[in-house]
Amino acid sequence: MAAAPSSDTDSGRGESKEASSKWLDAHYDPMANIHTFSSCLALADLHGDGEYKLVVGDLGPSGQQSCLKVLQGPKVLTESPLPALPAAAATFLMDQHEPRTPALALASGPCVYVYKNLRPYFKFSLPHLPLNPLEQDLWNQAKEDRIDPLTLKEMLEGIREKAEVPLSVQSLRFLQLELSEMEAFVNQHKAKTLKRQTVITTMTTLKKNLADEDAVSCLVLGTENKELLVLDPEAFTVLAKMSLPSVPVFLEVSGQFDVEFRLAAACRNGNICILRRDSKGPKYCIELSAQPVGLVRVHKVLVVGSTQDSLHGFTHKGKKLWTVQMPAAILTMNLMEQRARGLQAVMAGLANGEVRIYRDKTLLDVIRTPDAVTSLCFGRYGREDNTLIATTRGGGLMIKILKRTAVFADGGGEVGPPPAQATKLNVPRKTRLYVDQTLREREAGIGPGPGPHLQAHTAPAEHLDSPPHPGAAGLLPVRGGALRPAPGLLQGPLVGARAQLPPGDLCGESQ
Amino acid sequence: MAEERTVMRTQLPTSAESQNPQLKKALEFPILEKQNWLIHLHYIHKDYEACKAVIKEQLRETQGLCEYALYVQALIFRLEGNIQDSLELFQTCAVLSPQCADNLKQVARSLFLLGKHKAATEVYNEAAKLNQKDWEICHNLGVCYIYLKQFNKARDQLHHALHLNRHDLTYIMLGKIHLLEGNLDKAIEIYKKAVEFSPENTELLTTLGLLYLQLGIYQKAFEYLGNALTYDPTNYKAILAAGSMMQTHGDFDVALTKYRIVACAVPESPPLWNNIGMCFFGKKKYVAAISCLKRANYLAPFDWKILYNLGLVHLTMQQYASAFHFLSAAINFQPKMAELYMLLAVALTNLEDTENAKRAYAEAVHLDKCNPLVNLNYAVLLYNQGQKREALAQYQEMEKKVNLLKDSSSLEFDSEMVEVAQKLGAALHVGEALVWTKPAKDSRSQHRTTSASKAACFQQPLGSNQALGQAMSSAAAYRKLPSGEERPQMKNLSYT
Repeated sequence: MAAAPSSDTDSGRGESKEASSKWLDAHYDPMANIHTFSSCLALADLHGDGEYKLVVGDLGPSGQQSCLKVLQGPKVLTESPLPALPAAAATFLMDQHEPRTPALALASGPCVYVYKNLRPYFKFSLPHLPLNPLEQDLWNQAKEDRIDPLTLKEMLEGIREKAEVPLSVQSLRFLQLELSEMEAFVNQHKAKTLKRQTVITTMTTLKKNLADEDAVSCLVLGTENKELLVLDPEAFTVLAKMSLPSVPVFLEVSGQFDVEFRLAAACRNGNICILRRDSKGPKYCIELSAQPVGLVRVHKVLVVGSTQDSLHGFTHKGKKLWTVQMPAAILTMNLMEQRARGLQAVMAGLANGEVRIYRDKTLLDVIRTPDAVTSLCFGRYGREDNTLIATTRGGGLMIKILKRTAVFADGGGEVGPPPAQATKLNVPRKTRLYVDQTLREREAGIGPGPGPHLQAHTAPAEHLDSPPHPGAAGLLPVRGGALRPAPGLLQGPLVGARAQLPPGDLCGESQ
Repeated sequence: MAEERTVMRTQLPTSAESQNPQLKKALEFPILEKQNWLIHLHYIHKDYEACKAVIKEQLRETQGLCEYALYVQALIFRLEGNIQDSLELFQTCAVLSPQCADNLKQVARSLFLLGKHKAATEVYNEAAKLNQKDWEICHNLGVCYIYLKQFNKARDQLHHALHLNRHDLTYIMLGKIHLLEGNLDKAIEIYKKAVEFSPENTELLTTLGLLYLQLGIYQKAFEYLGNALTYDPTNYKAILAAGSMMQTHGDFDVALTKYRIVACAVPESPPLWNNIGMCFFGKKKYVAAISCLKRANYLAPFDWKILYNLGLVHLTMQQYASAFHFLSAAINFQPKMAELYMLLAVALTNLEDTENAKRAYAEAVHLDKCNPLVNLNYAVLLYNQGQKREALAQYQEMEKKVNLLKDSSSLEFDSEMVEVAQKLGAALHVGEALVWTKPAKDSRSQHRTTSASKAACFQQPLGSNQALGQAMSSAAAYRKLPSGEERPQMKNLSYT
């Protein structure tokens, strides 16, 4: 336990912070080398032994070596490489057979890999996308050598301009080639079947027909092809297909598939689409003015984080309820559910190293972390309820446990007038010299002095040109023409106070 | 986990390829959109370095065909300020998928950022053909037309955008058009609708408050500014405006507390230091006032209001020469303002230059339309100089203005001014013709009516200070107010 000894050896200050904090530091390992997003974290009792494990789809430090890690306590239990980067991980109960242990689904590329008892069980591939019939036709012709490459290119380009169904990768590659390479390419590839395949961008689980904790769930996939698929857990067939105006990035579901469900999908074009059962397209669309960074459903409110550093709350019909501004960019969001107290709150990891917990608009708590948090997960871990697991930008792993006695009262965050109100204004101080000079001016300023000219507003330069008059302190003789400025009186003994200078310097030397 | 790996391998669709590594590369084209989700996640996390790395990798693998990678790369270029490259990449994307309105919109936006508004409108129109009901296109078209100064078209587009989908930004733009055209009332209407739609937007609330302030409807202004402050207690504009209103009501301490908040956030703001200075002035801490005003002047040497205030405070401190200096500088910047000339004349009077003082007063009276104080002070000076007839003329002018003001608005007159006027009236044997019956409200409100017609600033440094300043000048005049016998005595007073 890396953090525990450090907190013990901390000075009194550290301990008092611990005492007042609602969280126990269970583990912090900055060298854990886990780089992941919230969508690839899942907590489940994979072996059916009552001890919940953490499943992490690790993307690796540079997105190269992706692997599936299963953690128990602070240690990594198993680690297995993955063929492609995991987009999402979810645990769900597949069937009613005993033992009722959840299966693990990992979405990666165009496939979903399902593990049971951490052993590979099934691989589901997304169905191929329909091809453009014209394109198919053209390549058939090419196969039979009935068409030459140039014509093929022209026809394909024509299709690309206008057609609804996009071209396959093969055609796109072909269109990029130089004339000389076209022949070779066609010969190499004409025999192959054309394919269009899409990838999974996000995944979540939806209960099938019962709302119990241990009921069977379906998988909901979002694809790059702007579609949502609902898969049957037992046979892995596509139960429903819905289309969206843009590619989904985050998904939130509520309800049961067989009865009634609501799906909220945050898309890449900055919209949040809300779909209901039996609707082919979105019923409501919330347009954000920035990109959504996270989507969490808390009771009946959809909480959305946006790249403008703010959290918004929306009803499920799309009406904005509230907005809260964050002090830094939001990196990740997740749901915090404390079943015992019936508390549901939103956790947001910010770029300045804070994790803020909000219930509606009120800030419940702020957790300071040594590094910015990139993924969050809250739930039962090991045998401990209410554990917060976070991974940081530098690849560290942090585990905190919510104290049993911790109660989230409203107003646990900042309240009252801003602290800046207490700091005094730094008014520049005047020296004794200044005060003396003001007295002197008052005494000497009045007298048969030269009348200041009223053309002052046209010739400020005149002030600067008049030479300093070495007169005694006090009254100076009247000058003819009354064209000298009165401040000429302040010449002489007032060292440095050149009154022709701009007013700010009258007492310059005393600053 | 070896078994896992083999299991996975056998489930790969084209098992034949694994035997022939050369064919494998040629046969299996990688899916273009393979890592789009990762690029997107890095982008929204503002992790641009990682994003660029993934983009580079993807473009290399797909030989430049991955449209989303190019798109995000262009977006990052734009964020870094490299708009030209961004434009080129967006054009490439538009070529790769011509049916996509998004790419055209981004091309248009890049053109807009490069300042080519006309070209931008053309591309937006093209995009509109592809996607009719896009509020973003309408909104951006409206903004382009604003820059092209075609306000009618801009208004149409923005209304259309609002029709499609209400957004705060569109409301703000519409409001700006109305303000650019000088139509304050319509602007207020628009902002009110916007606030109805999104009641927590501090920018809207503050702008609305400031507009009401400009129009002189202080109650509503204070309401909206107060609302803005409840949602965001550190909002600079709202605090400054609210503070200035508090100052006009004499709540200097409260205003100072509020200013403290902003002083931490924006320490180098000339209007802020100006207002702080005038708070100290109101609390009679003149040296502190001068320090703050000098700082404000240092930050904004061309601001006539700060110079005016400096002149005023120096008059109060009896530093007439310095006051003259500041006031003449202020006149340089604001040559058509009667009050400046009046204060200048007061300074000159105290510097014993009556000839020029009279000229200053003459100029002030010539420029002023509605402030009776100018006439009053001139009358006092003339009386002191023994020119009773001219004094009487000025007194009558003042009466006219007072009557005008009484009729047009329920103003209060500064008590000291009333006193002086009555004394002068008695001395001139004018009698009690003039009735100052309105309940005592400060003559600061008088000044407000004149300033309302000027381009409004939310600074309002002149509020209470004006009254005090006038009180000072009239007090000075009062000291000189003769009743024949006191005259020589008066002369002595001026030397102390």
